[in-house]
Amino acid sequence: MVAGLELFTLPQQLVNGLLLGSIYALIALGYTMVYGVLKLINFAHGEVFMLGAYAALFASWALGYGPGGHAGQSSILNLAIMLLASMSFCALVGVVIERFAYRPLRNQPRIASLITAIGLSLLLQYGGQIFLLNGVPQSISGNVNPFPGQVSISLRGADKVALAKAEELKPAMIQTQADLEAQLKNEKSRFDLSPKGEALEKKAQEAKRSYDNLIDVANAKTVGINIGYGKIIMFVAVLGLMGILTYLVMFTKRGRAMRAVSHDFSASALMGINVDSIITFTFILGSSLAGAGAMMLATFQSGTKIDPFFGMAYGVKAFVAAVLGGIGNIPGAVLGGLLMGVAENLVDWAGFSNYRDAIAFVILIVVLLFRPGGLLGSAKVEKV
Amino acid sequence: MSFAALAAISIGLAGCGNKTDESTTSSPGASGSTKSGGAKSRPEPTAPTVTASGDTIKIGIVASMTGDNKPWGEDSYEGAKLAVEEFNAAGGLNGKKVELLLEDSGSKQDQAKTAAEKLMSEGVIGIVGEVSSGNTIQIAKSAFEKNIPVVAVGATRTDLTDVGANVFRVCYTDDFQGPVMAKFAYEKLGLRKMAVMTDNNLPYSQGLSASFKTMFTKLGGEIVAEGFYESGGKQASEYSGKLTEIKAKNPDGMFLSGYFTEVGPIAQQARAADLNVPLLGGDGWDSDAILTSGGKAILGNFFCNHYNNADNRPQVADFLKKWTSSHGGSEPNTTMGALGYDAAALTLDALKRATGADSKALTAAIADTEGFKGVSGDITLKGKNGNPPKRAIIVEVTEKGPKGWQKFAKDYTPDQLGM
Amino acid sequence: MKFLGIRLGSIALGLLGCGLIQVIANGQNSFIQLLVILAGLYVTLAVSLNLINGITGQFSIGHAAFYQVGAYTAGVLARSFFDKLHLHPLLWLVLVMIAGAIGAAIAGLVVGLPSLRLRGDYLAIVTLGFGEIINIIARNQETLGKAYGLDIAPRISSVFMVWALAFLTIAVCRNLLKNVHGLTFLAVREDEVASAAMGVDVTRVKVAAFVLGSAFAGAAGALYAHALGFISPTNFSMDVSFIILTMVVLGGTGSITGSALAAIVLFYIPEKMRDLHPMPVSSIVAGAIAIVVTVAVVKRVADNFRGSRRNKTLIIIGSIVGGVVIQLIFSTILRGVPSLQQMVEGSKLRLVVFAVTLVILMLLRPEGVFAHHEFSWSWVKKLLGHADIPETEMSA
Repeated sequence: MVAGLELFTLPQQLVNGLLLGSIYALIALGYTMVYGVLKLINFAHGEVFMLGAYAALFASWALGYGPGGHAGQSSILNLAIMLLASMSFCALVGVVIERFAYRPLRNQPRIASLITAIGLSLLLQYGGQIFLLNGVPQSISGNVNPFPGQVSISLRGADKVALAKAEELKPAMIQTQADLEAQLKNEKSRFDLSPKGEALEKKAQEAKRSYDNLIDVANAKTVGINIGYGKIIMFVAVLGLMGILTYLVMFTKRGRAMRAVSHDFSASALMGINVDSIITFTFILGSSLAGAGAMMLATFQSGTKIDPFFGMAYGVKAFVAAVLGGIGNIPGAVLGGLLMGVAENLVDWAGFSNYRDAIAFVILIVVLLFRPGGLLGSAKVEKV
Repeated sequence: MSFAALAAISIGLAGCGNKTDESTTSSPGASGSTKSGGAKSRPEPTAPTVTASGDTIKIGIVASMTGDNKPWGEDSYEGAKLAVEEFNAAGGLNGKKVELLLEDSGSKQDQAKTAAEKLMSEGVIGIVGEVSSGNTIQIAKSAFEKNIPVVAVGATRTDLTDVGANVFRVCYTDDFQGPVMAKFAYEKLGLRKMAVMTDNNLPYSQGLSASFKTMFTKLGGEIVAEGFYESGGKQASEYSGKLTEIKAKNPDGMFLSGYFTEVGPIAQQARAADLNVPLLGGDGWDSDAILTSGGKAILGNFFCNHYNNADNRPQVADFLKKWTSSHGGSEPNTTMGALGYDAAALTLDALKRATGADSKALTAAIADTEGFKGVSGDITLKGKNGNPPKRAIIVEVTEKGPKGWQKFAKDYTPDQLGM
Repeated sequence: MKFLGIRLGSIALGLLGCGLIQVIANGQNSFIQLLVILAGLYVTLAVSLNLINGITGQFSIGHAAFYQVGAYTAGVLARSFFDKLHLHPLLWLVLVMIAGAIGAAIAGLVVGLPSLRLRGDYLAIVTLGFGEIINIIARNQETLGKAYGLDIAPRISSVFMVWALAFLTIAVCRNLLKNVHGLTFLAVREDEVASAAMGVDVTRVKVAAFVLGSAFAGAAGALYAHALGFISPTNFSMDVSFIILTMVVLGGTGSITGSALAAIVLFYIPEKMRDLHPMPVSSIVAGAIAIVVTVAVVKRVADNFRGSRRNKTLIIIGSIVGGVVIQLIFSTILRGVPSLQQMVEGSKLRLVVFAVTLVILMLLRPEGVFAHHEFSWSWVKKLLGHADIPETEMSA
């Protein structure tokens, strides 16, 4: 644990948190919508997310970014194909799960559905260890992302005086390095130098160190934010998807029906709403959002490890985010997701990086104790 | 009625009395200390000898055939299998064939322990394995209670061999590997301010980080930042928060002591967080999976390995020929293939020299090994308390080419570090 | 007098049974002994979780946390005190068991108290989260050995003690159900509001169930720590909680007999699967198709069939046979697909078994195999052909 809080990393951490939180929010939406209509915690939702990541992975392989593949510069089109593959596959999985695992149990006690959900979740995890490339962790090639660069925003610039001092040292550093390079041509290997080479190497290293130290001094007070272009696209896409969702839920007939079902299941059935089709619709929405989240996370957070337990890591936290925002409440899920991401990064910021995974559960317990309805939900006393 | 109860209790007591094992097994490592490493004398197992029975001599191997360490576990098993096949083809031990029994550890400590106990219940007289240190310590302890020799494949945690005089390994220790990397970083790369990231879920990583930090500060460097994460399937590979904090401390290099599964994503996210410093690591990086998970970010960084496919020792060429012919032309992806082969071949070599086909004689013969020509180098265990002095090879991660993806950079012998 | 006789008889028989298991196990090699011990521990765990989930109707899916608390309590105590006290190992084991039980009971109280405000699925998540928090703490505390875990010397593997604990747990749960306190547990399960209206202290009952269930799990943890000689956070992962949950669900929520038997069966099958030869993926896929078809047919028959009981049974048996045939046909067909020829070790399928059990059970028989039926002496008498005084069946 590193003591002391560095205030100047706070902006970066908040941004990190919001970016991660946007993914949590996408997953949390699935939990919250299903809970809204069925009053069921869809434990298998995390596994739908996991399958979405695999769908994106296989799509990227099909596009030529597989192991050993050397496809060139990627494009937005590739990303769109992967996104579509992942979203449609997840929607399909969601519908299948609902139709064959949850629907037959709708008239049983709710605990039965919950146990089925847990069972499905385990089945997809451990079944995945057999069927999904033997469970060996995979990752999507970084080349898929067509925008590898990043944007730096400086909130407080570097110390000009120190920077100028550093600039004075720069020519010396470049010179020593050039000397070393020249000598290296005569050497067998970079790590097995003659005495002359070693002396030159030492000189070059020292020059570089003194330059770097000054740069560090100059930068000691800077406050800046780095965001990869990919992450920006991800965030914009998440906002876009949320916009579409809002439209679908608030301004379409099906959306209205969905809200009605969520308000009162049996009354809406009596009013002529086809409850089954609305539930299917809900699962399609929730699952495809999870698929989108999985695809974007795995693509833009380069190197993200995809394995059959991928869904567990994000699913549980997203669920907590849904509870935090008020389960069943759509804006709540988004708020909860963002807060969850920020909270995790603040734990890192505070120097307790080894307790990062605990914060989700601490939040969960605190919320359930003091505000069981969540931040935006209404605290109802549940009748059993 | 109560007579029956009393009788039952006394049966129970009698039954348990002799099951109690009050041997004073040293309990190393619980406090994370990695000191001593074979300096003190090791406890001798006292259990009765196990003699091979039946038409074959049984040797067990515990390997992570499932779970996170699967690439290593499979390679170590394939390597050991190769050694056994070769031994049997050469006539076995006076015509008696050796049978290699495999048990899966699932990359988990408790499963590794039960796997070892299962093997011993099936009558093995020696155990080969495991790759990860946490698993091997449990195997070693169970084997100590049964007086069975264990030859670890790639377990580098230093205090492993303190478990008992029945424990050996064919690789170097973290007390060597960590300092080697520290020396390389300080002297060859000219780094002075290192950050260290440790995987809290791996005893290996904790030990390696500790030995690296000690040596690096001893050389005059400074550890400016430390980060912790947890490996394992159920953890998200999300490190940007930790890396932002590390970057704020301006390190000029970063030591990642974990396994390749996490190192790859960390490398990429470090670059994304604008932390463009050289990355260093231990033999936990050794799998070509790191090339996909690490992308461009992992290229040009260095880690410590046991041997190199491009090595020009005759044993290496010989081993690669055998391996490729039985694996459809592909070379082993990790060095655990070679180490698994070495561990099994060393055990079989000792079996030939042993005075009898029993566990005690085998232990003694293994402990007497001198100058065994292994693929990964010459292995001498005599008087070394189970830790053979071996070369450490530092390799650079490069794009996958015809000569593999590990480019030889420098090697260190124990003498060079004054060990 | 007769009552007392039956009681003492049961106790004596139970202890005799434990002794017998010990004697039989002594003749086996140490690996089999370890398995017998683990089976006994799982019986304790399943029955104690059944007290929380089945009998009181709460829904905890983090039982491994209490197991872990007990194990670590024992581990820490053994490291600091065993060498100083010079006790007989068995006496030590009893003490450690009590300590583990107390430790876990406190943990149970900590979880139980706040969870009173929560119902069903929320409680499930909180218990899951508690398990994770305990695990994270263990992984980060120097005194708890971090990721490496704790070595526990000496290794004391007493089959008798483990099974005696299992017997004790069963006896306590059974007797609880037969008296007035147990009735309140059942009342809370059936209807919280109604039972509160009838004067049942719902809070007290829930907390009592949590504390009691956790205490037994903690005692089991203490025995586990000494039996294995080492504990680490990975031994108590979420998987363990799910395994215990599956046992309870399979046995029938509320049935002690069911939980105990399911624990043994579900412990045995996966252990057996380790020995299976590797099989190609194709036959697993074929098996999955066959299971799905069979389950679908059986489900349909069970729900909608209007005919004699005999015909219904025949159709069900027929569809199971059909399933086997489908399996054979498909595995022959799929043998032609090269990408499905990869071999899979039996050990990989171990946890899949639990998952499949949960799903199929919920679809076919959500109340579990035994539902709420119990083993009892009157049942034995009935089997032997004696008519019996009708015994009041407490479970609903």
